[in-house]
Amino acid sequence: MRCGDFRQSYAEDMSLFDSPLPRVLLAGLLAFLLVLPQFSTTYWLDVLNRIFIAIIAAAGLNVVTGYTGLISLGTAAFLAVGAFTTAALAGKAGLPFVVVIPLSGLLTAMIGLVFGIPSLRLKGLYLAVATLAAHYIVEFTVSHWDHMTGGVNGISIPAAQFAGIVLKDDRGIYYLIYPIMVGLLFFTKNLFRTKTGKAFVAIRDQDISAEVMGVDVFRYKLLSFAISSFLIGVAGSLLAYQARIISPENFPITLAIDYLGMVIIGGLGSIVGSIFGAIFITLLPEMLRLATDALGNQWPGLMVIVAPIKTGVFGLVVILFLIFEPDGMAARWNHIKAYWKLYPFSY
Amino acid sequence: MTPRKSLVAIVASALAALSPSWASAQQEIKVGGIFDLTGVTSDVGKPFAQGVQDAVVWVNENGGINGKKIKLIGADYAYKIDQARALYKKLVNDDKVVMIQGWGTGDTEALKDFVGQDKVPYFSASFSAPLTVPSKFPYNFFVAPTYSDQLRSWMDWVKQDYAKSGGKGNPKVAFMYGDNAYGKSPIAAGKKYGGVIGVDVVDEAVLPPNFQDATSQLLTMKQKGVQYAYINVTTTGVSLVLRDAKKLGMDVKFGSNPYGFSESLVAVAGPLAEGVTGVMPHVPYGTPVPGMKNVMAMHDKLRAGEKGDAMYVRGYTYVMVWSEALKRADKAGQLNGPGVKAAAETLADFSTGGLSQSVTYTPTDHRPTMTTSIYQVQGGKLVKIGDYIMPRTAEWFGL
Repeated sequence: MRCGDFRQSYAEDMSLFDSPLPRVLLAGLLAFLLVLPQFSTTYWLDVLNRIFIAIIAAAGLNVVTGYTGLISLGTAAFLAVGAFTTAALAGKAGLPFVVVIPLSGLLTAMIGLVFGIPSLRLKGLYLAVATLAAHYIVEFTVSHWDHMTGGVNGISIPAAQFAGIVLKDDRGIYYLIYPIMVGLLFFTKNLFRTKTGKAFVAIRDQDISAEVMGVDVFRYKLLSFAISSFLIGVAGSLLAYQARIISPENFPITLAIDYLGMVIIGGLGSIVGSIFGAIFITLLPEMLRLATDALGNQWPGLMVIVAPIKTGVFGLVVILFLIFEPDGMAARWNHIKAYWKLYPFSY
Repeated sequence: MTPRKSLVAIVASALAALSPSWASAQQEIKVGGIFDLTGVTSDVGKPFAQGVQDAVVWVNENGGINGKKIKLIGADYAYKIDQARALYKKLVNDDKVVMIQGWGTGDTEALKDFVGQDKVPYFSASFSAPLTVPSKFPYNFFVAPTYSDQLRSWMDWVKQDYAKSGGKGNPKVAFMYGDNAYGKSPIAAGKKYGGVIGVDVVDEAVLPPNFQDATSQLLTMKQKGVQYAYINVTTTGVSLVLRDAKKLGMDVKFGSNPYGFSESLVAVAGPLAEGVTGVMPHVPYGTPVPGMKNVMAMHDKLRAGEKGDAMYVRGYTYVMVWSEALKRADKAGQLNGPGVKAAAETLADFSTGGLSQSVTYTPTDHRPTMTTSIYQVQGGKLVKIGDYIMPRTAEWFGL
């Protein structure tokens, strides 16, 4: 049993796993998720796919908001850029997904760079308002660039294809989304073991100190925006492939707020937190809907009464979370891990 | 009896006991419902859903579908498109519904390709003209004239009214609409039609989402000498426009679409609504037509104390139409997606008891009716001022 830290070198201090057990458990989880679609209904596959996409985007938002401390309301806009780029590249140009997804991410990263420029001068709420402007600029562009985006009516996206493989249904698209998510999460996790990631955290904790220490604050802020937007753009691209029809109505400002909710509830500055937050915010309305619909279909007269309850319950759960676990679900996760690490001698 | 034989006997008797419930489960026809009860369009989505639910109860209490009961598996998608899609997948793949009663532009547009691929008839209350072209969207249906025909009819009324009031030249008309699929749907058709009948569309005002003030748009219209304006937004937006027009002392005759003009406009805008015209594909609640008796009886029974409106009538009318399609499909022994679609396409001048215009679908044309009823608020009441009939031309098909 391990009852303390036994790190003896910097390499050990930086390691992802401090004991063999988590490594085994993680491998088990990844293997389980690999075979899960064989046992899942289409509906739950759809929910799983949406959770995975949300995890990628939430991790992206966490890079800029959680790790670098720059609040962004542009998530929905960046998702839209990724999704509509995919619609153009896959639909109009007929490119395969191995090209489309990275290109969608890169283009979104470039747009993110542009909208990240105000972060040189602006912080906190002021930056939030600047990114809000980004949201409306993108929303206006996608609703009016009719021949490219289909305008307000939206646009259809062909099934993801590459070298003769066509991912038509939810099961196929699952095997596209899942490895990309795992890969990007490892990338993000590792990012914060590098100089770049450490620079982000330094800027978040105290930007003046960071500058004094020799961190080029503006450059790293822009880089943070670019990496974040890349991740969100890839999520948007996968969203387009999964949804198959997208319109500007898919990307309202409330979506950006949902994503902020994910990283706050999950835990700011934590990759595990992004995962928990994305699962929680995606699953909660589904669960509440299943519950209220079950009630409503049993007693049809009650449906219009019980359906609004879920909106209230959603708000209540979020508030309770913030009161009782202000550091997010990631903090609770660490408590649980610590408890079992020392079991049965915890106190 | 050996233990094994007794076990077989127990299992057999248990099966026998269960079988009636199996039989009745087979007698059910599953219909999906995708409603908005809590989202941005819930003000009109809720009474619509209630109308659908109550009409299903009525059908089940009155013989069902040739003796089979309809099981409505309804759910709220809160006007969130990803939830509509998830719900659709659940209804089609897990619940195996025969058809779906949908709701508005949001879900209909997001699902229009899928319902064609999966062959699931999709009845929804988005009256967008392209949905009536079966070669593009074979499984989409609605029960009303298209948004485009509605606007054309209103423009016919404008022309008449202008001539009656002794106006010279062409009337000057403005379109006010939101920057979304629902708002923009009839605009191109209206502009074209203006040129045909001699109505000058002199201004287009785009209203932002959730706007609180329309003064600047109205001032532009005032400068351009607009005499008539079609407000293509929902009730709250129409009320705001009416309020600001009054504030500016404008003498413009306003009109609106089936989601802007109903009993609730009179309730919200009060005296400001006086004289406003609007399209009503489904009659106001309480109109003395033969079909209204059942509607009011169900409403009194299940929604005692609530106020009925045209949205409730709309939901009710939809069930009348597709339950008839289900009956015909069942008679043909084809209770499946393609069967229900084919049955719906046999409806010819199907009467809804005066709750809406008679409904006709053919395999090549899903325009249910070409007749648009225009109403006007007179003394706080919705009064019908005329039916306007558009020709069923190929030129306007899907536009």
